[in-house]
Amino acid sequence: MSELIFTPVIGIEIHIRLKSDSKLFCSCSTNTDAAPNTNICPICMGLPGSLPHMNHRVVEQGMLAGFALNCGIRPKSLFFRKSYFYPDLPKGHQISQCDLPITTAGYIEVHDSEGKLKKIRVNHLHLEEDVGSLHHSASDGRLEGASTSYVDYNRSGTPLAEIVSEPDVASAAEAVEYVTTLRRRVIYSGASEVELEKGMMRFDANVSMKCSDGRWGKKVEVKNMNSFKALERAIEFEIKRQKKIMLQGGEVMQETRHWNDAKGVTSPSRVKESYRKFIVEPDLPPLHISQEWIDRVHSRMPEMPDVRANRYVHDMGLTQEAADILTDDRKVADYFESCVNAGANPVRAANWIRTEVMRVLNETQKKIADFNIKPEVLAEIVKRVDDKKLSTTQAKEVFDYMCANNAGLDDSVKKLGITEGGVAGNALNEIIANVIKANPDVLAEIQSGKDMKGKKFKFLQGLVMKESKGQAKPQEVAEALTAALKN
Amino acid sequence: MKLTREEVNDIALESRLLLTEKELDGAVKYINNFLDILDSFRELDLTNVEPFSFAEAIECPLREDKVIAFKDTEAILHESEHVDGSYFKVPRIMEE
Amino acid sequence: MELYELDLYDASNGIKEKKFSPAELFESCRKRIDSCEDNIHAFITRTDDKAPVIENPEGILAGVPTVLKDNLCTKGIRTTAASKILGNWKPPYDASAWKYLREAGAVLMGKVNMDEFAMGNTCGNSAFGPTHNPNDISRVPGGSSGGSAAAVSAGYVPFALGSDTGGSIRQPASYCGVYGMKPTYGMVSRYGLISYGSSLDQIGPFARTIRDLQLVMSVIARYDPMDSSCFREKHYDFSHSEDVSIKGKRIALVKEFQNFTLDTPIAEAMKKTKKILEDNGAVITEVSLPIVSKYAVACYYALAMSEAHTNLERYDGVRLGYTVKDAAGIKEMFERVRSYGFGSEVKSRIIAGTCLTEPSRCEEYYVAATKVRTLIAQEFKRAFGECDFILQPVTPSLPHKIGEENEDAMKGYETDLYTLPVNLAGLPGLSFFTGYDDASKLPVGLQLIGPRWSDPDILNTGVILERHLGSPKIANGGVK
Repeated sequence: MSELIFTPVIGIEIHIRLKSDSKLFCSCSTNTDAAPNTNICPICMGLPGSLPHMNHRVVEQGMLAGFALNCGIRPKSLFFRKSYFYPDLPKGHQISQCDLPITTAGYIEVHDSEGKLKKIRVNHLHLEEDVGSLHHSASDGRLEGASTSYVDYNRSGTPLAEIVSEPDVASAAEAVEYVTTLRRRVIYSGASEVELEKGMMRFDANVSMKCSDGRWGKKVEVKNMNSFKALERAIEFEIKRQKKIMLQGGEVMQETRHWNDAKGVTSPSRVKESYRKFIVEPDLPPLHISQEWIDRVHSRMPEMPDVRANRYVHDMGLTQEAADILTDDRKVADYFESCVNAGANPVRAANWIRTEVMRVLNETQKKIADFNIKPEVLAEIVKRVDDKKLSTTQAKEVFDYMCANNAGLDDSVKKLGITEGGVAGNALNEIIANVIKANPDVLAEIQSGKDMKGKKFKFLQGLVMKESKGQAKPQEVAEALTAALKN
Repeated sequence: MKLTREEVNDIALESRLLLTEKELDGAVKYINNFLDILDSFRELDLTNVEPFSFAEAIECPLREDKVIAFKDTEAILHESEHVDGSYFKVPRIMEE
Repeated sequence: MELYELDLYDASNGIKEKKFSPAELFESCRKRIDSCEDNIHAFITRTDDKAPVIENPEGILAGVPTVLKDNLCTKGIRTTAASKILGNWKPPYDASAWKYLREAGAVLMGKVNMDEFAMGNTCGNSAFGPTHNPNDISRVPGGSSGGSAAAVSAGYVPFALGSDTGGSIRQPASYCGVYGMKPTYGMVSRYGLISYGSSLDQIGPFARTIRDLQLVMSVIARYDPMDSSCFREKHYDFSHSEDVSIKGKRIALVKEFQNFTLDTPIAEAMKKTKKILEDNGAVITEVSLPIVSKYAVACYYALAMSEAHTNLERYDGVRLGYTVKDAAGIKEMFERVRSYGFGSEVKSRIIAGTCLTEPSRCEEYYVAATKVRTLIAQEFKRAFGECDFILQPVTPSLPHKIGEENEDAMKGYETDLYTLPVNLAGLPGLSFFTGYDDASKLPVGLQLIGPRWSDPDILNTGVILERHLGSPKIANGGVK
């Protein structure tokens, strides 16, 4: 009997918090770090009589995120009411575009197990409001075992994009690449900062298994993954669990399971989901988006990171690794390009950024936008090294001084007493003249011919090197000193 | 299509309503009468009819993304008997 | 003549011309309320215990008392929607329509009774007990805005606000013998109106003269960015003029309605009104509304309940209103709060709405209803290509006695056939007084409806009708 082969069939739903100052349907701040229940109003608290009022910028953020996923924009989309009872949902329903979303289909490219590019199709992206946040009184802060829960509605009504993929993902690794690439592209588009540690990206996965003997297990919805790692582990766990059931001849039940990150397992969700048809939100007319508006927003789309990385490899001669590192963060890539545009050699600029700049940012916990050395200045440093005005060691010394003291390039060079291009010619002759002048006895000795072993000459040579702060070349010093002594 | 008492009771529970026997009797009668009337829709050909929206096809008005804090958050909190400190405290969420 | 007997127009002018003070008018109204309220029970919450604070003494409504239906939010003043579930909720904000009145100088006497969450047509389905018709206190005032209609009819205040989802302004206006206007959907901001059927709800005024309706409309018909369904750009002129004409206007009767039976006083009123319109140069025609007459009732209730059950999902006891504190779990808390807090009629409608939007029935009922609504709106549009206004009854009968409510709930709904299609198509409708029935002495009202945004024209026609039919008198309110 040939061995059974199992192929995972995985679809991923992602919630991303879109970037805006005010909430989706009211003017409250989206700052969820504020003291609990301070960024609330009648609208996001669902008070009787209040009505939603749509945020213009969130529509544009939705479009930008859609473009980042290669989606089209629907000229007319609608809002619906998605009903369920939960204390963090003030109206008892969530306003969501679930049935007629702002975007049409798109895709994200990832590498399959053989390293070949494959497309993960995106069914759509839609806009919806987030719910409040719950804090549980169980000792570990989790839902299970908690006797009471505390609700903070600051997050209620903040704007979300929900991104639904087709079941094209075949492994946990593909899932991670899908969400990583997607996140990077969305950040690039400016639609969101997707700060993972702030819970701005949350995942659910639909996992089922296809067996080579023709069996196809039922779909299991796994919820509650809040990090890339959790997504990866949850999918791996589910694949193993379902495979085991099917190998034993059992049947995988269609159900919703909860990922428990602490225990590293999924378990059946005890909250009954009610699958209700959504009614049209009567308080919001259809959202119309003109072609002109679409074009205007599209013109703001920056080059996507993978396209950029390709360009760096093919046009600038960077390695793929360097290009990937530089394009991971749009701001870093922008910095790199400004640097190149200011005349720096791309390969060397890339090296500087990957090593020195990133090291300092890391040490100082700064973002590149707040970095004191502007790209044009870094370009100048790179150029001076190329022009041999500064040695590599000197350049790094200057760079560190600039970072530590928030100083300018020329000031730092001066402060460090560096003479660019080294001490030579007249400057060197002047030092030599001074040294000779200060040591008449040594001069007399050399001129008398007593310095047979050249000890005194070396003594003077050392003094000159010291005076030049090591910036004179020994060979030149010897020649110039010999010449001076002959006079 | 008549609904049974059980079905109506299930729908009530989904709406977080516990009905007395009398209320349930009333609701069953109410809904079944109502569904009878709604069955008249079958007489109409609705295949090419769009769901309703107002004739002027008014567009969703959009507001500028500007923070305007609601000044009286205290008045909102004041209305709840469940406020504990700065949170709303609710009983356990998981149902056994 | 007492000051409370003045209509809004004269009361406002009297104050401006310093014939009397706002305090004198306030006092006169308060005394009138004191003398009748035991009989009528229009109020849920009275706010007339202290001297009036006039926000804008220069405003066009400066010093004029008013009352609001208790589903309009009033900052710091209990707002109940006549439901136990809202408890003693004091909203932290004002409904926009009330804000506009306040800013125009109006003075609030209190919040008045209604059917719970505006679900009903008798004003008897209230957690606070029924309101009585000031013309005959053994009878219902109509609903759901029964408290507003009764307050204006009894002379408590010269005008009031109510809301109309399927006739809730026009029917009680007709039953109580006052004028009531249901504006075009989108004409008046719904912000701060506790929703029943959001795509059907509209706020409107009650008054004892047409010119008063015009004056109130001129204040509340204003664009409000807080309501996304509110009109923009256009300005509507509600100024009053006696110099109006309906010469050449085509006023239609609905063909299919001719077969339905009407109580004699209402049929007589139709004849009388038709003649007045003809005498003033209007042309009486006929339009056909086959889908409206056959499917509007079913369509209306399907949509109203589908929207209502989602509008009522927010009442869970967490953030406001009635609650329980000893529930073992959140589900138990929600169930206990909602089961105690909502009345039976509301519960039935929630269950019906939930049932219609279940995945297995949604397409057949809810989605079908949204399509039938399109057909209904199209039918009205076509009809208004053939006529300028439609004249029709508000109800087929005069107000019944309290306690004689129709047992068969669905039969009760058929009496709404004249009012609720107007909400489905978002049209304006005026309920106007035609006189008193000789036998019962009860007022008889009729209805004039027009195409969307024709509100000013309807009111101008109302001016002519009032001139020939006479204005209503203040009802005795059970006081001999």
